[in-house]
Amino acid sequence: MNIDAADSLPTWRLWGEERTPGAVFTVYLKKVRYHSPNKSVSEQEDNISHLEWETVRVRLVKAATLVKLVECLASDEGELETTYVNIFLATYRSFSTASQVLGLLLDRYKLLANDSDEVELPDFLRQQHVKTLILALHVWLDTYPEDFVDPPKFPALQRLDEFCKENVPESELAIRVRHRLEKLLQDVGERSARVPTAVPVDNGDTVHEVVVDATKVTDLSEYKFPNINEVHFAEQLTCMDMDLFTRLVPHQCLGSVWARRGEKPGAVGGLAGGAAGSVLATVNQFNAVSLRVISTTLKQSLPDRTLIISTWIKIAQELRVLKNFSSLKAIVSGLQSNPIHRLKRSWAGLDKDTYQLFSELARIFSEENNQFAQRELLMREGTAKFANTVGTNDRQLQKAIQRQLNQSGTISHGTIPYLGTFLTDLTMIDTAIPDYVGEEKLINFDKRRKEFEILAQIKLLQSAANGYSFKLDRKFEEWFNAIPVLDDKEAYDLSCQLEPHVPSNTLSSVESAKSKKSFFRFPKSLSIGFLQGHKKNDSVASTNSGSSSSSFYLPTSHETSWRSSRGLSPSPLSSKSSSTSSLVSLDVSLGSTATSGSNAKLQQSIDSASTTMEPEFYVIKVTTDCQGHAKDGQVMYKSIMLSNNDRTHQVVRQAMLKLGLEGRPEDYTFAQVLAHKELLLPNDANVFYAVNTAHDLNFIVRRAKKL
Amino acid sequence: MSKPPNENLPAYKLVVVGDGGVGKSALTIQFFQKLFVTDYDPTIEDSYIQHTEVDGKWCILDVLDTAGQEEFSAMREQYMRKGDGFLLVYSVTDKQSYENIVNFHTQILRVKDRDVYPMLLVANKVDLVHLRKVTEEQGRELAHRLGIPYIETSAKDPPLNVDAAFQEVVRIIRNQPAFDLEKGRRGRRRCCIV
Repeated sequence: MNIDAADSLPTWRLWGEERTPGAVFTVYLKKVRYHSPNKSVSEQEDNISHLEWETVRVRLVKAATLVKLVECLASDEGELETTYVNIFLATYRSFSTASQVLGLLLDRYKLLANDSDEVELPDFLRQQHVKTLILALHVWLDTYPEDFVDPPKFPALQRLDEFCKENVPESELAIRVRHRLEKLLQDVGERSARVPTAVPVDNGDTVHEVVVDATKVTDLSEYKFPNINEVHFAEQLTCMDMDLFTRLVPHQCLGSVWARRGEKPGAVGGLAGGAAGSVLATVNQFNAVSLRVISTTLKQSLPDRTLIISTWIKIAQELRVLKNFSSLKAIVSGLQSNPIHRLKRSWAGLDKDTYQLFSELARIFSEENNQFAQRELLMREGTAKFANTVGTNDRQLQKAIQRQLNQSGTISHGTIPYLGTFLTDLTMIDTAIPDYVGEEKLINFDKRRKEFEILAQIKLLQSAANGYSFKLDRKFEEWFNAIPVLDDKEAYDLSCQLEPHVPSNTLSSVESAKSKKSFFRFPKSLSIGFLQGHKKNDSVASTNSGSSSSSFYLPTSHETSWRSSRGLSPSPLSSKSSSTSSLVSLDVSLGSTATSGSNAKLQQSIDSASTTMEPEFYVIKVTTDCQGHAKDGQVMYKSIMLSNNDRTHQVVRQAMLKLGLEGRPEDYTFAQVLAHKELLLPNDANVFYAVNTAHDLNFIVRRAKKL
Repeated sequence: MSKPPNENLPAYKLVVVGDGGVGKSALTIQFFQKLFVTDYDPTIEDSYIQHTEVDGKWCILDVLDTAGQEEFSAMREQYMRKGDGFLLVYSVTDKQSYENIVNFHTQILRVKDRDVYPMLLVANKVDLVHLRKVTEEQGRELAHRLGIPYIETSAKDPPLNVDAAFQEVVRIIRNQPAFDLEKGRRGRRRCCIV
């Protein structure tokens, strides 16, 4: 993938540097084989007929003024310097503008075409240079059409059109420019006629094929998490990612655009609209996936929560097989985010194979050795037809990849990389290498070559991404986008309610931790940390105690607006809701019915009682054997939220209400259904602490036998 | 300076956090600059690993700087988990970046599930005197509130306190009360006095 062959080919040798006014070149000596003799060969045919190769001198621009850089688009012989032109067009926005470069190109043309004395060239070379300039304009129009789309007046294209009329009328270029300009002007006319208010222009014209599959439309339950087809899920995420990735504008990733996005005041809004819009769109989709991993997991009660985690891991595995490293990392990140990662009990429920699979997937994104694992994998598989790389320790992945190979021998997948690694590399290049060099402040073109190596990788993967042949399922997309999400604080609070934080700051939390000591068994390492926390806390209590969490969240509304101003909040959350730290119940069906925008908002119910208590609850399932409830051997469960101050009679009352039982709570018994027996709870027990969490939280209410 | 010994040195993973555009990458690059004299390649394996001597003791610094990935918010906690010590960087020319520090601080403590953790507050770009919006007092006040040390840096030539900042984090890691215990448990610490 090394584009700048000068570094890697042993047939290239550094010779030295050459300086001309306004430009510095690096000169290499290059061995060339005589396969097809060119002009220079035929001139000396007699002498070299027995030679297999000769050494030629190659000059690469190291640094130059803009005028010189434009001149270098053609070689001394007037041929188009293809590689150089590619690098120049991909990176010139870092040091110039489209209109400036166009101006220089057209000026140079006039200079050469009009026999100006300023250029001392023999006539045939002059002609060659002129032709090459026209060719360069063709290449530019082909590769970066967006540089000429500047509505409503399209000044760049207008200028080019005038130039053509004057200098090369009726040429292919003139016709092309004419056509394109007319079409764009017509589009603008139609658009303004149709929609009076300005509509943001979606510069991609991709039209999705909408699949109307009868089975999918009628079977709405297909999109009920976690009862979902993981392969379909992974394919659909890939479909969405592929659309974004193929529309990504590589030069928007450049350090001069992305890494400096925060430097200009107000640039953020501008970026969302244009300068780095395609990068932001990718980032947003990544976050959207992670946030959904978090919210769907936190929404469930314990046994189901483990199932949700397991489902996401299976989707991640499918994404690995599909070589979609973007959504794969998004899921791994979501599962490794603090609110999920800390749920020890939920993870403990995973079966060994699934947990191992997760470790294997997470290893791909290890930060060790500068993301070596991920880079290596991308190198090997980036343009391969299908996933075929596994580490020797990746037992679960080996199986998955083998399965895919067995299933269809002719599969062919694209690759979607995790964009963040490229963005960091480009940021680092931008920081490490100066834009201008020497006293003359020449444009450092070596820096652009370096950047282009990364851009070329992205471009290569973009073309490979077309290898996917999935069709977008609109229903899925709608459903996916409607899954409610939580902001950082909400997710963390909810996570702490599901499995309480081991508190270490305030007196009250120490008390409550003690009272629960026998109930929650923490892994040894954790309890050590817990004790250490106390030891240290004694000395720093005055600076730290309790203030950190409150000061973090005071500016919540501000934080929310910060997020949304960057367009990073996929689903707007009511900022009011996050100011309370209490029970958040995600009372939203994740089924495909919840597709309308309003449903996407989280319904938050605030349990006033729980705000003062240690926040914690379980969702338990309760059934009864009373008449009318056992239908055809089916067990009907109702879910009840159980908080840590609920006594048996209160829970029974709730259960009676839900199950429609009559009488007084005292008339009923309440028991947890264990594997082979039942655990009867005394009338005044604190149910929360009495339940056996090693088993499913299923309960039964029975009418008490009259003595 | 003595030569780095060959024994198994303690390795510290330092993580640089802060908003986009505060000059994190410039600090990291400046710190590793000596290695990048000729041909900088950000993609090679040991780009951000360096042997360093702090107070006469050698160690290996492994710096993680995810500059450019700030908006991938979900992956932040993932890499925070790996850090032994943190540089919380803001730009003195950008008030917002200063105000966001407290978020990073809280997030790190949560991820680590601790009350204190080795961190250093880094006020960067102090060379831009005319554009300065966050005073030294404000910086120190924040550091005091968070219970962490404060340092002012500039990565512009001549650099100010760049090496000092990274070395200070090493000191903070070494001086934390629980350090011996934890490193001992992980079996990574090999004390070495030169």
